[in-house]
Amino acid sequence: MDAHDPFLDQVTALLPALRAFGRSLCGDPARADDLVQDTVLKAWTNRNQFQSGSNLKAWLFTILRNCYYSELRHRKFEVEDPEGVCAAQLSVAPVHDARLHLRDLNRALQELPHDQREALVLVCATGLSYEEAADVCQVAVGTIKSRIARARDRLIELLGEDAAHVTDQISGDKAQGNGGPRATARAKAS
Amino acid sequence: MSDKTKPDQAASGQGDAPGEQVPEWLGNRLRRMFTEVMDEPVPDEFKALLKQLEDKERGA
Repeated sequence: MDAHDPFLDQVTALLPALRAFGRSLCGDPARADDLVQDTVLKAWTNRNQFQSGSNLKAWLFTILRNCYYSELRHRKFEVEDPEGVCAAQLSVAPVHDARLHLRDLNRALQELPHDQREALVLVCATGLSYEEAADVCQVAVGTIKSRIARARDRLIELLGEDAAHVTDQISGDKAQGNGGPRATARAKAS
Repeated sequence: MSDKTKPDQAASGQGDAPGEQVPEWLGNRLRRMFTEVMDEPVPDEFKALLKQLEDKERGA
């Protein structure tokens, strides 16, 4: 990648996070990538509004979120994904137990109201602070917290009590990274 | 979507980790779902788009 514009370099570095955030919002990889493209274009057009030194990730998430909601408004009259086709495309990987559980989580996430889903994802998956998430969603920190609490309760309901006890082990070949075996051990112990 | 803020907005949120709100197994799974996508290679179409913007900036 030979982009030397500093702003574009930073945007480039954040593309993976943007794609992941987009996908968790809409549940559809192709649609998420369209959202990210729109986001990049909007960010570029409005780059003068970005105050250097502030959090570019949060700024880009805000743009992506706005793209998502404006697209939702346009889609209002289109048929929603009735058979869960989009959700099912989330993981086309070989059937691993852990993969299946991830897919269940994706499906369950898509069952949540938008505001709860985004709050949960922003704080618990993207690593934004409560304050940053509140800025992105333009609500108070307390609102983010109560949305997360509702999202958590609903997810646990959807995934079932058993979900907590399922071993998250990704068999052999993919075991390294992301907390790996130690996280598994902790999950088992609890 | 309601943008109304609740009275509980007084909560500063300062210092408390999301881990306190969400059980560890769920937090782990959410993060893994996210990092799985982050670990995917970024499609070429994005490189093309960024290159295009870069070229435009250079006044090409």
